[in-house]
Amino acid sequence: MRDETVLGRDTAHAIALTGISKMYGLVTALHPTDLSVDKGEFLTLLGPSGSGKTTLLNLIAGAIGPTTGTIFLDGRDITQMPPRDRGIGMVFQNYALMPHMTVFDNVAYPLRARRQPASTIRAKVTEALERVGLRGFEDRKPRQLSGGQQQRVGIARCIVYSPAIIMMDEPLGALDKNLREQLQSEIKRLHKELGTTIIYVTHDQEEALNMSDRICLMSAGQITQLGTPDELYFQPRNRFVAEFIGESNLISGRTNGNGQLMIAGNRSIPVPAGGWTDGAELLVMVRPERVQICDMDEPVKEGSNVLSGEIGTTSFVGGMTRVTVQTENGLNMTARMVSGRAESRPQAGARVRVCWSSSDMVVLET
Amino acid sequence: MSDNIHDPHSRRYHAMGTALAVVIYLFLLAPIVVTIPMAFGPTNALTFPPASYSLDLFKIFFSSPDWLNPLWESIKVALGATALAMLAGAPAGYWIARHEFVGKGLITALIMSPLVIPTIVGALGLYLYFSYLRIGGTTLSLVLGHIIVTLPYVVLMIMAGVHKLDRNLEFGAELMGAGPIRMFFTVVIPQLVPSLLSAGFFAFLISFDEVVISWFLASSNTVTLPVKMFSALEWEVSPVIAAVSTLLTTVSLLACIVAIAFKKATPVDA
Amino acid sequence: MNRISIIRAQAIFMSPAVLAATLLILPPLLYVFYTSVYGPALSLAAYGQVLTSKLFRQTLTTTLVVAGLSSLLSLLLGFVVALHLARQPARRRAFLTVLVLLPFWTSVLVKCFAFTVILGREGIINSMLSWIFGIKIQLPLVLNMVGLLVGMTNFLIPLVVLPVLASLLAIDSAIYRAAAIMGAKPARIFWTVTLPMSLPGLLAGLLSIFVMSLGAFIVPSLLGGPQDQMLSSLVAFYNREVLDWQKASAISVVLLGMVFIFAAPLALWRRRKLKA
Repeated sequence: MRDETVLGRDTAHAIALTGISKMYGLVTALHPTDLSVDKGEFLTLLGPSGSGKTTLLNLIAGAIGPTTGTIFLDGRDITQMPPRDRGIGMVFQNYALMPHMTVFDNVAYPLRARRQPASTIRAKVTEALERVGLRGFEDRKPRQLSGGQQQRVGIARCIVYSPAIIMMDEPLGALDKNLREQLQSEIKRLHKELGTTIIYVTHDQEEALNMSDRICLMSAGQITQLGTPDELYFQPRNRFVAEFIGESNLISGRTNGNGQLMIAGNRSIPVPAGGWTDGAELLVMVRPERVQICDMDEPVKEGSNVLSGEIGTTSFVGGMTRVTVQTENGLNMTARMVSGRAESRPQAGARVRVCWSSSDMVVLET
Repeated sequence: MSDNIHDPHSRRYHAMGTALAVVIYLFLLAPIVVTIPMAFGPTNALTFPPASYSLDLFKIFFSSPDWLNPLWESIKVALGATALAMLAGAPAGYWIARHEFVGKGLITALIMSPLVIPTIVGALGLYLYFSYLRIGGTTLSLVLGHIIVTLPYVVLMIMAGVHKLDRNLEFGAELMGAGPIRMFFTVVIPQLVPSLLSAGFFAFLISFDEVVISWFLASSNTVTLPVKMFSALEWEVSPVIAAVSTLLTTVSLLACIVAIAFKKATPVDA
Repeated sequence: MNRISIIRAQAIFMSPAVLAATLLILPPLLYVFYTSVYGPALSLAAYGQVLTSKLFRQTLTTTLVVAGLSSLLSLLLGFVVALHLARQPARRRAFLTVLVLLPFWTSVLVKCFAFTVILGREGIINSMLSWIFGIKIQLPLVLNMVGLLVGMTNFLIPLVVLPVLASLLAIDSAIYRAAAIMGAKPARIFWTVTLPMSLPGLLAGLLSIFVMSLGAFIVPSLLGGPQDQMLSSLVAFYNREVLDWQKASAISVVLLGMVFIFAAPLALWRRRKLKA
């Protein structure tokens, strides 16, 4: 057994949660969870709504108290500490700026709460506004700003008092796509410049993949997988992760002892590495961009899996074209390929072969 | 509702409903419509419409200590009761709207109970209680008595105002290091100004118009304007009452206008 | 969250109101109970005398009849107004709501005064009738049941319009359109959609104005006749004329009991709605 207290008190982590859980009456919002975040790390809590990511965020911020467990901030137990003493910053989805205060007063708010001298306040607020590119907006009221500008004020208000951790609760959720991408890179830049630990909540998987050092994927009140964006994308643990992040082809089958996996229509493909016992039921995933579509007469590379079939639909979505193939043995495979012009794209009904390399197959937990 | 359905049947129903509604609006407004012209009538007769118009009734009112003293008493009591009810009700309304705590239901029920308890019962109780405390008949006793009828309205209106505010603002302020008191004064109060003003105006109006409790508590030198008017109405209907009525209606009208003005000016971003 | 800092803040925010409630609301009520049983000695005698007296029984009957009639009448008329308001475009509705709000905030004394002028022997109604028929008409319209009901209704209608309007506006307008598209005529829409969906609001409104009118005092005193007095007037009578505080308190307790019997279902209903 490990000593959870000692684990939490380790000051290498910016924050550590041990056995933290939250129940509302008989409803479990968060099952007992351990999580630690390194100093300077950008960690994203990703998951569908109701997965417990906002509960986790609120527990860390102190908006709600945990049912069980302990929260350590830089080695200190803060479980019973009121939010104002935690020294955590938070950026809200709806900005939560004080409508009756100017931009300057909004950003100065945390400093005034800490009774800092006026000269320090002026200097720090100016610097924070500089960082988010809002110099010259000091005297505006929030309602005179665009959504993107309001959220920059929200970020400035956070970085101005250098909190140990900044929490961002779907900060870009209310903005349109272009603005969102622009602010994503600004937040990344600020993270690099300031070196602050950031815990970021989103339900947008692309945002999570783009920004995070690590992603904590949650569902049904618990952590499903915690890892780097690469790990989550290329080595998803189970079906939920595979389907939530990116698109996937799932193939189920049974090993037969000859190093073959028996799949639909009595076809067999080589079993992926992993020392499986005979007769094991496996669920295998291949990402669509690793699936290639070849003409019937094209030579096939050594070590490839090949199934022949017929093109079902093609959908052209800009740089990529998504093609579905109905294979002869009854599978529905999706492939993603770099788009060509209409005449060079596969036509519905054409007979083709789909191929993918054995090394691109990932076995999922079932 | 179903106005966008083009159907002769429905139009006929609606015409009937509208006619009936107009009659009821007139019935509701009749007291106001009748009293205001009479306030500008002659001093010797109460007829509608008045035979002649003048400011004589107001002159009588504003030159007679029998009416002026009660007016001052009413203003004193209403200002005192409003100030105290706001002081007690605004923080309580905020706390009740935002927090769960042991005994919340009981305390809220007790504060709101004067809305349900017949005024006469409260008035009798206050009369007996204040006699025991030996403060019966004083202006203080009137102020205290009026707190219990104004407090529930203040708490309700503040609660309604708080429910419209964005909770994240308060939590954000706490996270940025503000204590509950600083947070209340820098985040909640500034956004709650419209609710506070309309609660204050209505508390004043309720106290200013209050009859039964004042009637039980007042002594001969702490008679309020409504008590004076009630006694006057019980014995003989004098034309000056038309002027008093118009005065009371003006106060109601002001409160109404203020309430509507502030309802429109609720916080922009919340 | 930190328990101690929360408790301290709660003490600061809640104590003035709790103080007001425990020092100003609770003691008077307890005093009424105490006075009702404590005369020369501790006894329920006052209740016995009150409950068996003819005056009390008559007044109780009048109270129930007046409260029942005036609340039903007010509900009916208030429903008509609420239906009309719900049908209006938002801007016009805001204006018309003011026409309901203004009487809501008008002093009940002003209303009583106005109705003595409108309904009096030489009042507006009688003068108009005399002028129409060319003979002197002096119908007794005030200081009797008629005057009392007119006054009570005028007082209660604004109280019922606002909650009923809220329940009408809560009905999704798509339901009306759906009913009409499926072929329902206005009368059918009213009976099958509007009425059933606003029924809880109507019943709650009825109950709350009934409870309110049980304790009516000013309107019966000024517009009713001597034989139309309600329980409140009896309390005032024992308190100010007879100086029998024990009986006044006993009647108050009975009145309070009646109010709670009728208010309890209302409170339960509100709580259930709050939870839903």
